[in-house]
Amino acid sequence: MSADNGPAGGLAELERTYAPHEAVLEASRCLLCEEPPCNKGCPAGVDVRRFVRKIRFGNFRGAARLIRDANVLVGVCGRVCPQEMLCMEHCTRANLDTPIDIAGLQRFAGDVEIGTLAPLPQTEPERTARVAIIGAGPAGLAAAAELRKAGYAVDVRERAGVAGGVLTRGIPPFRLDPAFVRSEIDFVRRLGADFHFDEAVSSVDALFDEGFDAVFIAAGLWRPYRLGIDGADLDGVLVAGEFLESVALGETPDIGDAVVVVGGGNVALDAATAARRLGAGRVTVACLESFEEMPAFRSEIEEARSEGIECRTRTRPVRFRGKDGRVAAYEGVGIRWKEPDLLVPSNAEDVPGTDFSIKVDTVIVAIGQGVLDRFEGLETDDRGLVKVDAESMATSRPGVFAGGDAVSGGATVVQAVAEGKRAAAAIAAYIEGSDPGAAAEGGWEGGVR
Amino acid sequence: MSGIDLSVEFCGIRFPNPFVLAAAPPTDSAEMIARGFDAGWGGAVVKTLGLEHVPVYLVSPMMAGLSYEDKSLIGLENIDLISERDIGEVLEEVTDLKRRYPDNVLIVSVMASSEDDWKEITRRVQDAGADMIECSFSCPHGMPERGMGSAVGQDADLTYERARWVVEAARVPVLIKLTPNVTDMRPIAERVREAGAAGVTAINTVKGLLGFDVETFAPIPSVAGKSTAGGLSGPAVKPIALRFVSDVAKDVGIPVAGVGGVVTWRDAVEFMLAGAGIVEVCTAVMRYGYDIVEELTEGLALYLEDRGLASPGDLVGKGLANVVSHEELSREFKTVATIDRDLCVGCGGCVVACRDGGHQAVAFPDDAAPGEERIPVVDDEKCIGCGFCRTICPIDGCISMEEREELRAGA
Repeated sequence: MSADNGPAGGLAELERTYAPHEAVLEASRCLLCEEPPCNKGCPAGVDVRRFVRKIRFGNFRGAARLIRDANVLVGVCGRVCPQEMLCMEHCTRANLDTPIDIAGLQRFAGDVEIGTLAPLPQTEPERTARVAIIGAGPAGLAAAAELRKAGYAVDVRERAGVAGGVLTRGIPPFRLDPAFVRSEIDFVRRLGADFHFDEAVSSVDALFDEGFDAVFIAAGLWRPYRLGIDGADLDGVLVAGEFLESVALGETPDIGDAVVVVGGGNVALDAATAARRLGAGRVTVACLESFEEMPAFRSEIEEARSEGIECRTRTRPVRFRGKDGRVAAYEGVGIRWKEPDLLVPSNAEDVPGTDFSIKVDTVIVAIGQGVLDRFEGLETDDRGLVKVDAESMATSRPGVFAGGDAVSGGATVVQAVAEGKRAAAAIAAYIEGSDPGAAAEGGWEGGVR
Repeated sequence: MSGIDLSVEFCGIRFPNPFVLAAAPPTDSAEMIARGFDAGWGGAVVKTLGLEHVPVYLVSPMMAGLSYEDKSLIGLENIDLISERDIGEVLEEVTDLKRRYPDNVLIVSVMASSEDDWKEITRRVQDAGADMIECSFSCPHGMPERGMGSAVGQDADLTYERARWVVEAARVPVLIKLTPNVTDMRPIAERVREAGAAGVTAINTVKGLLGFDVETFAPIPSVAGKSTAGGLSGPAVKPIALRFVSDVAKDVGIPVAGVGGVVTWRDAVEFMLAGAGIVEVCTAVMRYGYDIVEELTEGLALYLEDRGLASPGDLVGKGLANVVSHEELSREFKTVATIDRDLCVGCGGCVVACRDGGHQAVAFPDDAAPGEERIPVVDDEKCIGCGFCRTICPIDGCISMEEREELRAGA
């Protein structure tokens, strides 16, 4: 272990929230655009201009409520949303100087009611129809909240022992304080959603047999892809999902000083920064892509590099060499793309003479995840991702809807929230006997007010 | 949104909420007021009307803003006049508007000069369906030169006489809008009460000259190179308004419609604590739009809910007992500035402010080790507890004025 114990703060949350007067000052930079571009940028449909205005004029709790009405994951999205690619991207203020720090203001709003029980919104009268939701991650939570607000009975079946999906079992605590996740999950529970844990569901028929009127599949991606190379099964070769889950659950796995993370997405970057924060002195990210091609958010790449994480871009792993059964060396080689703009392993060819070897204590494999369960009778693609109508999230089977990573193959939290909301609207329309597609387009707002 | 009922009764009239659009450009037509009501305003005062034979000739530009460092429009100065629209046409709109919005309160602001004119305009306005009449005795520019506006409101006897004319003709409650351009509003408000008016509206704009263009020497806003003193409104005048509202509410005992610099629900609460039964808003609406009422109503409702209060009416005048004369203030209570060493960033603003603006009680320590963060220290012996350092400190809560029991006189 080197003397360097990683970035200051360790696993404690990175983001600092505004003091009230600072939030007002930042919000007062808002130009209160008549046709606000920020609003168009939010997949979850948060009225950004309006919540910023509420903060500006001192109506902090009104701001928290407004956001929560559109997106139950207020504090979560304030922390993990790539705002610079969404609401903040076209902020008019950027034409003058810098965009409004919408992310920071949303974190501030999310914190306003932390520690108190956020008041529940008005809900519609209870209905008799029941909806089963498979998976308690962002998409499932968002759908559960919307359906409860609309008065439907909601049963959430979660394979793991804890709700939150990637929020509690994937995103490391320095990026997202588990306390926020818990309070926001608790809000959905207080809305009246029933959660069942350690319950894997792989048959939709079984749920219909139980009497549910509709099913929403939001099971996520929990089967890690593994490398099929020599040494992939040595001790010390971890998959990112399991590594991040243990970190997210508060464990401090012993990973030694030298770590290589394989992959170029956000999960790889999270694993790398988590490894640094656990005390690894030399952390290297090795990926097929160049910096420009890496699918991770720019902010995460910049942050990782500023924390001294090295990147071996445009390389692939060749083999892991072991010593006494444990991984000791990572051997890779430089690659180039055979066809341009086709960033898949099969399109990579080795560049002769670029072989390299890195001494390692741990290798973390973050090359993607696939679906764990396949549901019978649903159209899926060759990766097992459920095919849906993009508007209504309806699957090929009537009454069955799907959203989140199990459909997209891996997208943002806010995208999953948006899909959960769209699915909830379509489910309500389906149950009430109208066309789900039309309902989603018509802007159904199931009892939000 | 909370379940709090924000409705209030003021001068015998039930308002859906205490937030009322003041007589100004945002209330110059029914179409505009309807949008205001749709946005959530409880009432509106239709922009001041005059009779047909009193023509209105506007100038342009007629508005200019007062900015300070990074804050734009802390004050708005205008040399606008009463509505230039035809009173008959506007009153037809009033009738229609009242039919469409029976629950919102429609007040019509009027201005006239002779007894006959005051009585005629009063009758015409109430016949059109206005719930209340607000008489402008207070416009500080353009009208005083013609014996109207603040020329009336600055004179207690003229105020009484004209208020009396209106009250004699009126079947609906009458508000008299008074000018802050007086030394003391109380004797004038007292005469309003004697005249039988239901209440006063305070304040109208504060007369001021906004500034000069230093290149052209033209005052601002420049009308072909010349200008005149106008009426200042906006956040800059709020302390002046609160002073007059509390004066009248405390010492005259007549209902007050508070107006002057309200932007947030906190401002509105302050006006109510000072004795305002309803709160009128203009400048903030002009700047931010009618929608700002959402932040006023929601913010007020959440505040009331937090404090366990049932109605905005429970706030009215509740701060007045704490507004006392200077003589009545405690001489026993002594404070000393205390700097939070964890929050301080060491800018030394307080050091300069106390050294050159006060009492040389705050200084950087001489003996700080090299490299050690320099945090100012307060000399308790020299500090007179004035509080100026706290007002200039850039960090909320860093400097506090702590009571020191041992400094109590005679202790």
